[in-house]
Formats: sequence, structure tokens, C-alpha cells
Amino acid sequence: MQLTVNGHQYEVHGEVGTTLAEALREELSLTGTKIACGEGHCGACTVLVDDEPVLSCITLVHAVDGARVTTIEGLRDHPMIDAFVRSDALQCGFCTPGQIVSAVALVESEPAPTTEQIRHAMAGNLCRCGAYPKIEEAIRTWQG
Amino acid sequence: MELRRASSTTFDGLPVHGGTEVVPLLRAGLLRTDTLVDIRGVVPRDIAPGRIGAGATLAQLECDPGIPEVLREACRLAASPQLRNMGSLAGNLLQSTRCWYWRLGWPCRLHRVANGYGDECFARDGEHREHAIFANDYCASAHPSDVAAALLALDARLRTTARELPVAELYRLPTEADRRTTTLEPGEVILEVTFDECDQSVYLKAMERKRWAFPLVGVAAARRGAKTRVALAGVAPVPWLLSGELDSATPLPRNAYKVDVARALVKRARATIGA
Repeated sequence: MQLTVNGHQYEVHGEVGTTLAEALREELSLTGTKIACGEGHCGACTVLVDDEPVLSCITLVHAVDGARVTTIEGLRDHPMIDAFVRSDALQCGFCTPGQIVSAVALVESEPAPTTEQIRHAMAGNLCRCGAYPKIEEAIRTWQG
Repeated sequence: MELRRASSTTFDGLPVHGGTEVVPLLRAGLLRTDTLVDIRGVVPRDIAPGRIGAGATLAQLECDPGIPEVLREACRLAASPQLRNMGSLAGNLLQSTRCWYWRLGWPCRLHRVANGYGDECFARDGEHREHAIFANDYCASAHPSDVAAALLALDARLRTTARELPVAELYRLPTEADRRTTTLEPGEVILEVTFDECDQSVYLKAMERKRWAFPLVGVAAARRGAKTRVALAGVAPVPWLLSGELDSATPLPRNAYKVDVARALVKRARATIGA
């Protein structure tokens, strides 16, 4: 099947049942997308499918045939990356790719989100280091 | 396993829409199939007053001003943003219990074992702080759908590929003779949800965190004139229409707190909508 990731076309050969996260990491070597819980709870695997944040660890890769997938690698020039660095919005960093993907989706639809909007939109990205206040700050100040 | 795209609502195989329930259950080995059928192309997802395509996502519903407050709020408070982007209305109604014994594959009364079904509810004598306080003598699982409680309060109706039915009739309590928790037949697909307008409605939810948690108790209430329907999530193996007050609850030793929570939320919900 054909997979469109970050504007590039890839041929994917995984068996049916392979998740999008597994295909990205193992077939395409796009290892920025992390797998933590592997069952749709924690948000570490968040990617955009047709601009909406979804959980790639419970998305079958064969179900996104024909869709546009954006991973953290496709957002390397987005100002949100700098905002996370500026605000020191991470400790271990494992959840950070998923956090940034969700944050980008939020500010692309709502460039100046309120605290309530940030908390609502980011609720599906868990950070076990507890960097939430800094993550919130990064999103509040992303435009510099 | 193969994945087919459904070209009509008649097909052989296990239907999958958003996949937020089916995919984890397949990966956990709790569901098995040779053929998955992607039904996204054949289930309507449009939203009109009093009428919602069963394939609409929870994310679509939570921000549509035409949706009654009780349903919008139930969607807003359900799951996480990513899951609401993926999961469909009908898929939410058909989700399996979050009972940890069931999810971990313990051979309980809802699980098939070598010679039939399990013959024990492990939660009744085990850990059950998140379990049912009504109708819990055979299976103590708690139905986790906020959306189902909202639709039950709205007295919504479902149209499937085979029939029309009130949402209450989608669910059944498991019994020794029949362990199913829904009345949906194999191959039957929910296509549409309809409901009449209501004057006022509300959804209140007690959960472990303020976001992204299943309901310990969810209270949905909808008022039309002098008539109010109150339905609860997280308190029985099926979405629970409240008749009378909470006194008929039969809590287990470690979940009696749910009765107090439910009583308070029901009172607050009634006050909010002028019931």
C-alpha cells in the first residue's frame, strides 16, 4: 500500500494488523514517533492524519491508505519546537514528540489558545515527568 | 488477517470504524477475526437537527452547537482529544466494559472458555471500586459510555441495517442463558441516531481526574416540559435509566461511595435543568 508521510510517498509492506506507529518506526525508520503504552492511552504516539491528532499505536496502517500523515519529523521547522526548547517544556523527553504534534494541531486552528483550551486539547498527552506547567507555557508563548 | 473496505452495509467479517476499541481488543487477543471490514465509507456521519449519522466522531459532536447540551458535554468529557477525533458515535455505544478482570482476559462470565463461558464474576469478591452499584449480582461490570447515558436521557432511537429501536433496547443484562450485553445481531450495523428536541439538558461526570477518564458516575438528564429522564453511566453493566431515587442501589463492599456521588450529581443535575 501507499502511505503519504510528511509530503513523501512510501510503499509499505506490513501485514494487516500492523499499526501506523509500527510502520513509521520499523519500515520507514521515522522513529520520532514514540510507542509507550501501545494501547491508546498515553498520547506518545500522536501523529496528524489529515491534520487531526490521532493515536498511531491503535491506528491500522492499512486504514490510512489515501490519507495525509504528519509526524514530528514533518514539523521540524515549526516554531512550536523552539517554544518547547525556550520554555524547557520537558524532562526525559519521551512524550515530547506527541506533545508537540498535539500542540501544533491546536495552534493551527486556534493561534492564541486560552489556558482552558490548552488543557482541553492537550489532555490526551500524558507526561510522567510532570512537565505540564512548562508545556502549557510553551503553547501560550509559542509565537515568541 | 485481511482488511476489506465495505462497499455496502452487507458484508462478512468484523466491522471496524474508528478502531479505538476494535484495534486494542484485537491486539490483546480479546477479539479474533480473519477479516476486518472498514465500514467508514458506508456509515453516514452527517449531523442534522435531531438526527446524527452513526459514523460522526465524538469530536464533531462536542463542538456542534445544534447538539443538545447533554450529548455535547458527554462527548466533550469522554476519552482524550485523539480518541474523540477517531471514535464514532455508534462505536462508543458498542464499547466493551472496562472491567479490569474482563480486559485482562480472566475467565469471567462474559468470556468464552473451552467448554462455554466462565462461571464466576471476579470483581464481586475482588477489586470493584469502579464497578456496578445496580444489577450487579451476575456481572458487576460498569458500562463506561458517557454518550449512551446521554442518549438514554434523550430517549433517542437507533436505526440499524435491520430495524429501529429505542437506545435502551440496544442493551441487555447478561444472564446464565445469554451472556451478551447488546442485542445487536451479527452483521447488524447502527446507521443513525434520532431524538426529539428537549427544553434543557445536562451531563455531569465524576471521574478520577478532571480529564481523560471513564465515569465513576456519569449523570445525564434531559427535560421536556414537566417530564425529566435521568440516565447514569458507570453504575450498572448497561447504561442505567434511573427510576425513583438511588435507594434501590445494591453497592458492593468497596463501591458504596458511588451511591453518594450519584445521589449528589442527580440532585445537582435536576436543579440545573429546572426539573
